[in-house]
Amino acid sequence: MLDLIPLCALGATTPQEFRQGALTLTEMPETGLVSLTLQRGAARPALDLPEPGFWAAGAGHAAFWTGPGQWFIELPGRAQEDPIPFLAPQAPGCSLTEQTDGWVLFELQSSQGAEAIEAFLEHAVNLDLCKMGPGRATRSVIEHMGVYLLRRSDDRLAIWGMRSAAESLWHALTTLARRQSARG
Amino acid sequence: MTRLTGGLIDRSQSLSFTFDGTRYTGHPGDTLASALLANGVRLVGRSFKYHRPRGIVAAGSEEPNAMVTLREGARAEPNTRATMAELFDGLSARSQNHVGPLSFDMLAVNDLLSPFFAAGFYYKTFMWPRAFWEKLYEPAIRRAAGLGALSEQADPDAYDRGFLHCDLLIIGAGAAGLTAALTAGRAGARVVLADEDFRLGGRLMAESDLLDHAPATQWIASVEAELRALPNVRILPRTTVFGAYDHGIYGAVERVADHLPTPGTLVRQTLWRITAKRAVLAAGATERHIPFADNDRPGVMLAGAMRAYANRWATAPGTKGPVAIFTNNDDGHRTAVDLMAKGVPIAAVIDARARSEAQGDYRVIAGGMVTGTRGRLGLRSIAVQHSGGSESLSVGALGVSGGWNPNVHLASHHRGRPVWDEARLAFLPGQGGPGGLIAAGACAGQGSTVDALADGHRAAVQALADLGLTAPALALPHAHPRAENTAPIWHVPGKRRAWVDFQNDVTVKDIALAHQENMRPVEHLKRWTTLGMATDQGKTANVTALAVMAELTGKSIPQTGTTIFRPPYTGVSLGVLGGGDTGTNFRPRRLTPTHTWAKAQGAVFVEVGPWMRAQYFVRPGETYWRQSVDREVLAVRSGVGLCDVTTLGKIDVQGADAGLFLDRVYANAMASLKVGMVRYGLMLREDGTLYDDGTCARLAEDHYVVTTTTANAGPVYAQMEFARQCLWPDLDVQLISTTDAWAQIAVAGPKARALLERVVDGFDLSNEAFPFMACAPLTVCGGTRARLFRISFSGELAYELAVPARYGNALMARLMELGADLGATPYGTEALGVMRIEKGHAAGAELTGQTTAQMLGLGKMVSKKKDAIGAVMSRRGGLGDDSRRLVGLVPLDASHTVTPGAHLFTAGAHPSMDSDQGWVTSAAYSPHVGSSIGLAFLERGDERMGEVITAANPLQGQSVAVKVVSAHFVDPEGGRLRA
Amino acid sequence: MLIPHPLLGLRDAQEFTYLGDASLIDRPEGSDEAALADYVYLRDNPAGLHRELWFHEQGDRSWLVVTRNTLTHEIVSAELARDVALARKEGVA
Repeated sequence: MLDLIPLCALGATTPQEFRQGALTLTEMPETGLVSLTLQRGAARPALDLPEPGFWAAGAGHAAFWTGPGQWFIELPGRAQEDPIPFLAPQAPGCSLTEQTDGWVLFELQSSQGAEAIEAFLEHAVNLDLCKMGPGRATRSVIEHMGVYLLRRSDDRLAIWGMRSAAESLWHALTTLARRQSARG
Repeated sequence: MTRLTGGLIDRSQSLSFTFDGTRYTGHPGDTLASALLANGVRLVGRSFKYHRPRGIVAAGSEEPNAMVTLREGARAEPNTRATMAELFDGLSARSQNHVGPLSFDMLAVNDLLSPFFAAGFYYKTFMWPRAFWEKLYEPAIRRAAGLGALSEQADPDAYDRGFLHCDLLIIGAGAAGLTAALTAGRAGARVVLADEDFRLGGRLMAESDLLDHAPATQWIASVEAELRALPNVRILPRTTVFGAYDHGIYGAVERVADHLPTPGTLVRQTLWRITAKRAVLAAGATERHIPFADNDRPGVMLAGAMRAYANRWATAPGTKGPVAIFTNNDDGHRTAVDLMAKGVPIAAVIDARARSEAQGDYRVIAGGMVTGTRGRLGLRSIAVQHSGGSESLSVGALGVSGGWNPNVHLASHHRGRPVWDEARLAFLPGQGGPGGLIAAGACAGQGSTVDALADGHRAAVQALADLGLTAPALALPHAHPRAENTAPIWHVPGKRRAWVDFQNDVTVKDIALAHQENMRPVEHLKRWTTLGMATDQGKTANVTALAVMAELTGKSIPQTGTTIFRPPYTGVSLGVLGGGDTGTNFRPRRLTPTHTWAKAQGAVFVEVGPWMRAQYFVRPGETYWRQSVDREVLAVRSGVGLCDVTTLGKIDVQGADAGLFLDRVYANAMASLKVGMVRYGLMLREDGTLYDDGTCARLAEDHYVVTTTTANAGPVYAQMEFARQCLWPDLDVQLISTTDAWAQIAVAGPKARALLERVVDGFDLSNEAFPFMACAPLTVCGGTRARLFRISFSGELAYELAVPARYGNALMARLMELGADLGATPYGTEALGVMRIEKGHAAGAELTGQTTAQMLGLGKMVSKKKDAIGAVMSRRGGLGDDSRRLVGLVPLDASHTVTPGAHLFTAGAHPSMDSDQGWVTSAAYSPHVGSSIGLAFLERGDERMGEVITAANPLQGQSVAVKVVSAHFVDPEGGRLRA
Repeated sequence: MLIPHPLLGLRDAQEFTYLGDASLIDRPEGSDEAALADYVYLRDNPAGLHRELWFHEQGDRSWLVVTRNTLTHEIVSAELARDVALARKEGVA
């Protein structure tokens, strides 16, 4: 039998990209995602697990804090596979849940450094930008949609949104980018 | 067109605009008001109630009279203050509230009838007969008394919102605001400086006083340049901070594109939510007038506004004669001096104070009062009374100054109470207002330029100290010291009407009437006379009215008190409050993983909360929804159907105590569930009523996946987190939602197994290996990981197959393709609903929040062997004794319809509340039964099988004889499920 | 309003949903119907300091016990409800 052909969250077989002014927004369907929660009394596994409000890159994975004793582990390039067997040996004492297709990842790249990212955030989320520098990660709300925001670097922002709301989120993000471009 | 010298207008460019169809020109830097005045237009509108001719009174956002409808077509915006409308080329404006031309308003007859329209008139007159109010009186009154009309077209413009976080928000960019911004900016604080004007400088732009011996504009420009160069300072011109909210949150509207002919690709306005650690309110002050007889004639203005028009906009207020000033303070003289310096002739300064000296070469009438005005559509002369008798002065305009009211509004939000300062004759910001807000400059009673500059600096230093920042020294520019010396002269007594509130047509007489009618407390005064309730919120009227009432009652002004200040400071459009998107994008939509496929199959979608679900699939030839739904139901019951059920909430429950935890969250036992099996679960609220239902699948000893109803996915998850964190924090449980992660497809019908056998990778689907209520992880279609649950909502042999969401669309297509010979048919929520009614499964219409497990016939599921949320309370008297039971209903005559919501009565009983036996919860046409069927809660329903009762729907005059049957219309023994 | 989240600092109240009186943490054990009726239905409604439950729904999904002055909206403290509940259990044990 033939393999099933996966769809990206935006409904096409290939990921979407959008450019407007200084900003490029890209759908990233290849990053796997797992939630990792410490079980009672468990020690922290030897993964790079950041403190509340932060995001950290490790070897072959990245992690961001999502709640007390809980992180989401990003696994670039591992979206098609079952990530649990891969991660489980590295995470004893942890409950792991596959989250890859629960979410959609959009990466926002600025060609004009931090300024364009921050101007974008200013109209997108009610967050103190002092706490959104590189390395920061938080959950917040864009146009009534819950998202995780990871500031990868000065000029790059990752946005994890609910997969089922991908179309609405994409619309919201591209509208924000268009309006930002109009403001100049 | 007459312009004075100087001013902050760009004479190198001309802007063309129309007012009531007549073409005029102005310059960049003009407002509509300044341009109208520069063109000699004095009459700009008609008053609210009496339709009196009205002109421009003020030069800022406090303007009560000059309300126009700006722009045309869908963009026409009524009730726009001409003083706030920035002139652009092609601007068109129309005057409001008149029938016929502005200069001959037919409804001006109201003015002659004014004795009937005094305060409280409506309350007294239009009370009877009651029915006439809505149909006759109110529409007529609204037509006659009113403002501009809405375009009634959709707003073509976009709005957005933004969020700013700062150390210090400075509200107002006048003298105080600018020194505050400079102080805080240099200290490195994150500053937001907002001003409603399109230029920084505030009142400094309206004055001729020098700063550091140069025009104030030079100092403003240098400060602005420095602030703009500071990365930590954000300047928001055209931005009104309209409200102070809890914990340092402020609402502001930026008019991004209101100064442009159309916004183009810009948003029209932005709603800013500003979170500030500290705020400096430097909102300035508003001049008050002195009511005297017929003081509302076009050409009578606030003296300070007159000065602003001359200095900032190079506009002479009166072209038809010299200008007079009526004042009770020194500031009025300043207007005379500035006007004279610009070559405007001054007829006299009438100073209500007994002692008064001219500040220049003009006539002063000390101890004088203006007692009347003449001029049909504009001022021609004033009557003046003074110690030497009375005289008439021929004037083109009259400036009135009754002192200045600090703009304490934002400092008085949160029920802050302004305090009266007897020396300044003004209310100053008092205690109890928004925390962290410091008033400075004119709004704190420090209105002279010297004081305001220093006070802005002081306020910033105080705020910085609170924030732990050190303020740098600031060299304040030199300014000329001034004093107001306002005398407590509040109105000119007389028999004729003297206006206090121009916009709502409230006069001194109305206040006297309110006093006479014992409407003396300020809140009563306000509502009885409508004083201060117009769109300007009485900015030029309220304090004067209080003073008049105080005089009448013999109380002091502070004893009389103020009404409560509430946001917004000035009007805010609903468009900007709504912000964001409109139409389809008004709110987020959630799409199922098979949405793309369903769309291509002709699915009709239905909103289920935020979800878009396929309601039914239209096949060629089907013209009516029931045709599609009946076909889908029959296809499932005879072959196999496919339905996307991803929207059901899924929660992953892990941990050593997962079973124990679920035992406490569900009314029935879950810890005893075997690995690889699924159990239907009932969730109660703590008060014992049913909350939600779903399935629990045990994937491993310490791993369950539970489902919730679509609607309750969020609340149930929050409730389970509450149970985990607050009730049983000692249990080892981990929760996470996986609703979106897995595409879940129901495969239902007698041929379901045959179809699934074609997609599973070597998995034994036999009844022995995978019985009813089994679950297992597996792979499908050559290696795609999946989860299979043998559960049924339809009552047929059924499975739910879950794959990672990205494969859902392809899986659905594959199942359809492979099941073509089995009659595989997609079905939507309608067919799903019909089949669950046929099977007697409860859904939202049964789980109303007032339903118990007993009512569903599931009372025994509430385990007595363990404690669970709601278990104890479900057994209490009253709830536990509820004898209504879920039953099925079929009409005796198969052509009749069972209607949801119909109430049930014993056959022959008179339908009444007392004889009510229950109600129909759900109903549908059942292709299986061949008639309409219903589910109902019926008193002792389980004992009444076969009884014929009446389902009455009085709203539609229906009364249908129905037979009570089992709620399980299909396969009551459950043989099909287990086949 | 701004809620001082013990782990994340000041967060806008729009990210939270409100439940009510923090006494909901003290769920009576056992089958005493009267105690449960009290727990389910009876609440204090103080004018002044009030301990109440807020859920950081659009955040880290922590339940918080927030002590708020109902007259002024001043927030005196915010704790993780789990910590509060655990401390209670230890106190009882």
